[in-house]
Amino acid sequence: MKLLERYPWLRRWETLLFVILCAAVFINISLSEHYFNIDNLANIFHLSIEKAFVVLVMALVIINGEIDLSVASVMGLSASVLAYEFEKGASLESAISYAMLAGLACGLANGFFVAYLNIPSLVVTLAGLIAYRGAARILLEDRSVGNFPEWFTSFALDDVYVSIPTLLFVLVGLILIGTLVYQFTNLRQAVEEGAAFRFRKPGPVGLVLITVLAAVLVYMLALSSGAFEATTYVFAVLYLISLGILQFTNFGRYIYVIGNNRAGAEYAGLRVKQVKMTIFVMSALMAAFAGLMYAARVGNIRANAAEGFELDIITIVLLGGVSIFGGTGTMVGVGLSLLVVLNLRNGMSLRNINDNTRASVIGALLILSVLIPNWAQTIQRFLPRTLSGDNLTLDLENKEARESTETA
Amino acid sequence: MQSINLHVILCAINDFYFELAWIMDSLPQPVLQMHNISKSFGATVALSNVSMSLYPGEVHALVGENGAGKSTLIKIMTGIYQPDSGDIIINGNPTRLHSSAQAQAHGIAAIYQEPLVFPDLNIAENIFISHRRRGFLVNWGKMYRDAKKVLKRLDVDLDVRAQARGLPLAAQQTVEIAKAISMDVRVLIMDEPTASLSAHEVTQLFKIVRNLRAEGVAVLFISHRLEEVFEIADRITIFRDGELISSRPTHEVTREDAIRDMVGRPMGKVFQRQPSEVENVVLSVRDLSHRGKFEGISFDLHAGEVLGFAGLIGSGRTDIALATFGIEPAHDGQIYFDNKPVNIQSPRQAIKMRIAYLPEDRRQHGLVLPMSIAANITLPIMQDYANALGIVQNEKERQTAQDYREKLSIRTPSIDLPVRKLSGGNQQKVVLSKWLNTVPRVLILDEPTRGIDVGAKEEVHRLIDQLAKQGIAIMLISSDLPEVLAMSDRIVVIREGRQMGIFDRATADQEQIMGAAMGQLEMERDHA
Repeated sequence: MKLLERYPWLRRWETLLFVILCAAVFINISLSEHYFNIDNLANIFHLSIEKAFVVLVMALVIINGEIDLSVASVMGLSASVLAYEFEKGASLESAISYAMLAGLACGLANGFFVAYLNIPSLVVTLAGLIAYRGAARILLEDRSVGNFPEWFTSFALDDVYVSIPTLLFVLVGLILIGTLVYQFTNLRQAVEEGAAFRFRKPGPVGLVLITVLAAVLVYMLALSSGAFEATTYVFAVLYLISLGILQFTNFGRYIYVIGNNRAGAEYAGLRVKQVKMTIFVMSALMAAFAGLMYAARVGNIRANAAEGFELDIITIVLLGGVSIFGGTGTMVGVGLSLLVVLNLRNGMSLRNINDNTRASVIGALLILSVLIPNWAQTIQRFLPRTLSGDNLTLDLENKEARESTETA
Repeated sequence: MQSINLHVILCAINDFYFELAWIMDSLPQPVLQMHNISKSFGATVALSNVSMSLYPGEVHALVGENGAGKSTLIKIMTGIYQPDSGDIIINGNPTRLHSSAQAQAHGIAAIYQEPLVFPDLNIAENIFISHRRRGFLVNWGKMYRDAKKVLKRLDVDLDVRAQARGLPLAAQQTVEIAKAISMDVRVLIMDEPTASLSAHEVTQLFKIVRNLRAEGVAVLFISHRLEEVFEIADRITIFRDGELISSRPTHEVTREDAIRDMVGRPMGKVFQRQPSEVENVVLSVRDLSHRGKFEGISFDLHAGEVLGFAGLIGSGRTDIALATFGIEPAHDGQIYFDNKPVNIQSPRQAIKMRIAYLPEDRRQHGLVLPMSIAANITLPIMQDYANALGIVQNEKERQTAQDYREKLSIRTPSIDLPVRKLSGGNQQKVVLSKWLNTVPRVLILDEPTRGIDVGAKEEVHRLIDQLAKQGIAIMLISSDLPEVLAMSDRIVVIREGRQMGIFDRATADQEQIMGAAMGQLEMERDHA
């Protein structure tokens, strides 16, 4: 308990997720010799990369207090538009732009109904889920379209080889980005309030840590040369960007504020409607892009492409500590939960555990993610007072009070 | 002789004891006694060694600043908290209360500022919602009859079949009281029941309280409004910093005594503002109307002036403010800003014109409770704190928050603390900081001192005075009549969405304004 007092981040959901992730990796290694193999690790991402893309924006949607159930249908629609145009003989480039335009239209429609007509997003996007899938079926009926050009599929299928100069370039870049991220992030702060990060300059220890971390990453990158597809790297970059948007920009702050207290945001003069519109458009565009990736990876498209993906996507976001009521959650948590889910799936399939069991395990994990924090609170209430969390927060405040009087 | 004497003496002694026993019996027994109750949370002592008794047929007022320990005491009485030490004695029997259901079984019930009614059920259903003895089927006829009986005991006239949704707050409270007495309550705790009621509704509530007292219920009445306490209470108990400072019958206490005991230092009267020099007109409103809310509102607001808005709750003062701030734009009429006609359609536009609105409901509209003090203060002009990439410059943001923390003496260990953890008064200072940071020219304050303690209230009053001296034009909406009178240069009185007149502070008095707000002037005019 002393430990918890000194390091409040130990009480964070992200910490627990990290522990679960380590456990999952450890169990996977001990149960299957095929697991800790670079090709398998790459495969973990390869098979779910489209979902991972959409997870990033879904986190923003849910933190903002809304939900987007239509993402999988938008993925299907964009893939179907691509296939339909390509089938008609259009060039792939124009087919891609049509697909993205279809995504944009879906996003505008969702956003318009939710933000400007004040219809609950659950209803609007449920309608979207049905309607966009219907549109895809109208386009492709029961045909299957494939034979996309080589350059398109290779983006999702071919491994990327990394050369030494590239590595050096990435190393420098990583150190720069790492320094920035470290400067802006302070996980010590904001145990419950995801948005309240604090600026701090890295000390010597921090710099060493960043350098080591970057070196490890680059080493892993070198090892992985020839194992990962371009899409995985694109995902890594998008992950960092969305983390940056959510934690460090004023747009991210607006997302949290609106998710917490929409009326309060309106009274403070925030453009609530525009923010919601933007988020739904982002969500649909990302889904459309993910639909294209899906087409590139799978190679041929039917109207039912990506069906049912929305549930996996929402599960990962919620497991990452994002509250379904909006207002809390971090990208770090979402990233960790993505890794947890993907690793568990992979481990179980390596052990030949069937698909239904795998689904049950993930479902159980989602329920636990809600139950465990609740239990923790209940237990704290019944523990002797010296151990309770109430006391902990009070002590924390006193500590801060002491610090502030010392500095004053 | 001796034997006779002895007999007389023995008789006398016997009589004396008989008399004594009779007196002892007839002395009222406390229905609830709190004996040496202590409670602390970590290092914070919430209550130390508090003893008090509640007698049947007595209205016992509990007063004290926010954080004085009143709420903790109530929570112990209703079984939500357990005391660290001390005894709870109910009808002479030491008892342990582990839940509010248990407290209810002992006849202890509490009602709060915000009534907890089920909006979709009707009044009778709400009254009997927690009755344990229920059959499989609802006996509607009996329920309506019983509900009527209960309401009759309170001497109130409400349709028991009406849905609770849309009932005025006062009626919702009545339903809660009815719920309590239908369960045979002997101790009724009322935690700031009048905070959101208008003067007329308070009178009604007090009538109910007096009925309860006549029935022998012990009422524990908590309020920040001293006038009400002196009006209704038989005994006044004052808390400060978790200790019981004094407990005396009302006629032995003066207002000044009570305030001194509460804050631990003698205090002057309500802060009296000197009238300011009138400068040019900043905002003027002509014939502003909003269907169903208000109509024909016209006034001029000068720089450096405090324009008070008096009236009953629900009279439309807040709606006028919302229209001026662009949250619910008016349907008719014209607003002029700097003598130019403007059309304010959103708060964002209003903020750009440097109009600021401190909302009535601090927690819902003024703050984002889980977020830090700093994040709350910078919210309306976030864009000024972000660089070209949209990245928030935390150093700058913290500097602003730090400045306001000192300027307004916001008492907090850190500006990174979520505002949820601050007291009401300090939360209000955060909302004020947030709007001052937009450098307003027109500042609309809607009930700026509601629910905050005496000390913070005075600080807010001084701040309003300072801001007016700096040339900010201030609209002050307040249901606290002495406050409006002490702070305003002129007072607009609103009744049922209509402007009853603009009174000059020099000539206005409480009776006159209250009369206008309640429509007496109009009646006199009709008679004349």
